Amino acid sequence: MKDIITIVVRLTVSCLLAAVVMGVCFIFTSNAKKHNEHVKEQQVMYELLGYKGDAKVPESVAMHEIYRYVITTVESQSIGYLVAVHGEEFLLVEIDLDGKFLKNIPLTMSEADALEGDLRDKKVQEIVGPSATVKFADQTVVVTDDGKRIAYLISGKFQGFKTFVSVMLAVDPSFTLLGLEILEHEEDPGLGAEIEKDYFKNQFKGKPFAVLKNIDVVKAPIPADYLKALNGKVDEQEILKIRDMYKDKDIYALTGATISSRAVSNGVKGIVKKFAYRVTVLDKVLAEQRLTVPF
Amino acid sequence: MMTRVKNKSVLLAVLIFLLAPLFAHAEGLVVGQTFNGDKEIQVSFAVSVDKNVAENIHNYTVFEESDPDIKLVLSAATLATDNKSVTLQFEDVLNTAMTHVVEVKGLGGVEKTTFKVSKSYLGYLFSILISALLINNFVFTKYLGLCVFFGTSKKKTTAKGMGVVFTLVMVASAIMSWFFYQFILIPYDLNFLQIVVFIGLVSLTVQAVDTILRKVNPILFNSFGVFLVLVIANCVIIAVPLIVANNNYNFFETFMLALGAGGGFLLALYLMSSVSERLLLANIPPTFKGLPIAFIVAGQFAMAFLGFSGLQIF
Amino acid sequence: MANDKSSLQLVTRGILSENPIFKLALSMCPAVGISTTVMNGLLLGIAVLFVQVFSSVTISIFKNLIHPRIRIPTYTLTIATWVTVIDLVLAAYMPEAYAKMGIFVKLIVAFAIITMRLEMFACKEPVKDSFWDGVGMGLGFMVGMMVIGFVRELLGSGAVFGYDILGFKPLLFFILPSAGFFVVGLMMAFFNWIEIFYKRKKGLQ
Repeated sequence: MKDIITIVVRLTVSCLLAAVVMGVCFIFTSNAKKHNEHVKEQQVMYELLGYKGDAKVPESVAMHEIYRYVITTVESQSIGYLVAVHGEEFLLVEIDLDGKFLKNIPLTMSEADALEGDLRDKKVQEIVGPSATVKFADQTVVVTDDGKRIAYLISGKFQGFKTFVSVMLAVDPSFTLLGLEILEHEEDPGLGAEIEKDYFKNQFKGKPFAVLKNIDVVKAPIPADYLKALNGKVDEQEILKIRDMYKDKDIYALTGATISSRAVSNGVKGIVKKFAYRVTVLDKVLAEQRLTVPF
Repeated sequence: MMTRVKNKSVLLAVLIFLLAPLFAHAEGLVVGQTFNGDKEIQVSFAVSVDKNVAENIHNYTVFEESDPDIKLVLSAATLATDNKSVTLQFEDVLNTAMTHVVEVKGLGGVEKTTFKVSKSYLGYLFSILISALLINNFVFTKYLGLCVFFGTSKKKTTAKGMGVVFTLVMVASAIMSWFFYQFILIPYDLNFLQIVVFIGLVSLTVQAVDTILRKVNPILFNSFGVFLVLVIANCVIIAVPLIVANNNYNFFETFMLALGAGGGFLLALYLMSSVSERLLLANIPPTFKGLPIAFIVAGQFAMAFLGFSGLQIF
Repeated sequence: MANDKSSLQLVTRGILSENPIFKLALSMCPAVGISTTVMNGLLLGIAVLFVQVFSSVTISIFKNLIHPRIRIPTYTLTIATWVTVIDLVLAAYMPEAYAKMGIFVKLIVAFAIITMRLEMFACKEPVKDSFWDGVGMGLGFMVGMMVIGFVRELLGSGAVFGYDILGFKPLLFFILPSAGFFVVGLMMAFFNWIEIFYKRKKGLQ
């Protein structure tokens, strides 16, 4: 009997000790984790825009986030776009499924709150009211230079060969692809994992929207000059020339990983197509309603 | 005889359990809807429908459930000769992994009929099972549980016993972990305690199975009990709840994954032990005796299992 | 027994005569699973070294307070705590490396080698020796992982630590997932061969 008591006491004490160690560690690391993730995201964004390594980003370049929500009530569904208007003022623009403007609701929250997914979702739910449920769908970034749009950054996720592949894309205002970055994937090393290599993802660079709409993959080896350009082994001018030469061509599939290659090209195609449709609708509504946004 | 009846009833219970999600679909005017290839949706109705309404593509609105604002473009809608089923053709390839929502206006006198088209949920569950069993076999393609795998795959009987015990413990602990994860760890934001909680639950399950088996079926315990000790310190067992937590699986999916993982482990052990029994008779160079040859054989199995990748049944 | 062993001996024992991967054949899963590059081996090795050393020291400090009946649960709890710590730290400060190692960092909790060292060494010996034993075992694991990673990366992608050395890819097969089994098997055979070779030499003398 005495044994049981000592066992229980000691086990409890050790559990408490363990909990303290883990708790302290969690508190210390969770902020750093968020910070590092944010920094990483920023870095990926700038690299996609062409500011590699130490290249300084000009002051005039600004990024504006658009958060898309699906708002569901009992009888209907609509899409809400949360855009920053000015400083801490946000606007939730509600658009119905046919692209017609419904209403807009102003909202104030700090920029730090807006970056925090859960807090933002809560705020949006609050202003929409309890009769509807809101669900966060995705977020895109509009990049402006001196007030003029220069690019969009879109993140997305699609089914790869094994599990999901999550990517970030940069497109210019006419939806020509500026770059592709693979953020997460679980493809096989040596085969599908090659999707994150330059010679695959750079193939997407410079593909115009018209080509991208119907893009497919071909099972053929990449021509030697193109491969060199994709790997950045020739100078800048040459790369641009070769990229222009191949811009109407399909994507060359990876050896032994055709399914992964096809998954990526179809995924990218889908993301850009959907985005192009949505941004046109949003722009039309913003123009009709004479809403001023910083982009 | 008794055991056979028992087995049958257990099988029946499992079958009912698996089929349960099938009956969740609502019924009405639309009685059946499936993807037909990757560019078509086939819909069948309970009664004959008006040809003019059913063949007018403007009466249809189709979208993916998660993207209600993106309407998919139909190229044609054709009614079958019995007026009871219609085939919708689309301009672009459909993403059949997603649930599609179809809205029809004015069909059968109803102003708007809405229904969902998705790959059968049962098929999806089955694909998780097959994936864990063959495509992502925990031993040969995920490389988990190798210590126990090489330790206990010398004889077929041991292999079978080990595999069965593993499957049992895995299913039980995965289900428990799922409950803990969904109802305690997520709501209270304690996700960082994952590892401790899961390993605790696994040890608890093993202890429970040990005690129960000892009391209820001592004969079974005598043959399987030895393996229970080996279960605790094994990565396969702890990997299942971690994967479940990562992918946010629901209850049925968790059950299927655990079953598949256990079954896959059993399969791997059985295959390996069959080879090991043969190897006893073979003339192996002394440097390769024991573990090295076992690794080479496992490598060959792993290559063979690579062939399963990309396998799709549903 | 502990007193006549210097710290150096404890460390070299972990690396050579009782190497966890090649000699004890424990913790094989990561050795096969993610040993495609030297870097992966090094990182996971560091994680294991951390968990092994901290767990050994913790158990060694509290060895008189641990009730023999609940020995194993206490070990598991200790290991799980330190694994959680390293898991959180890696996820926060080295997200890229963490993503590469995937689930294996969390799975350190189920590594037989760590529990075994606690049971066989740390619960009996003084803190200092336990520390060096932990270092030895952790380093042994790290060295094993790095050797396998070196072979696979060099032969598979012609590089070491990501730097192109050969300029071509000799055998793509070696970084394919299933090659891990072959590499580990062949290396074990190679070590066996050395052992047999030396024994024979001694026998002849």
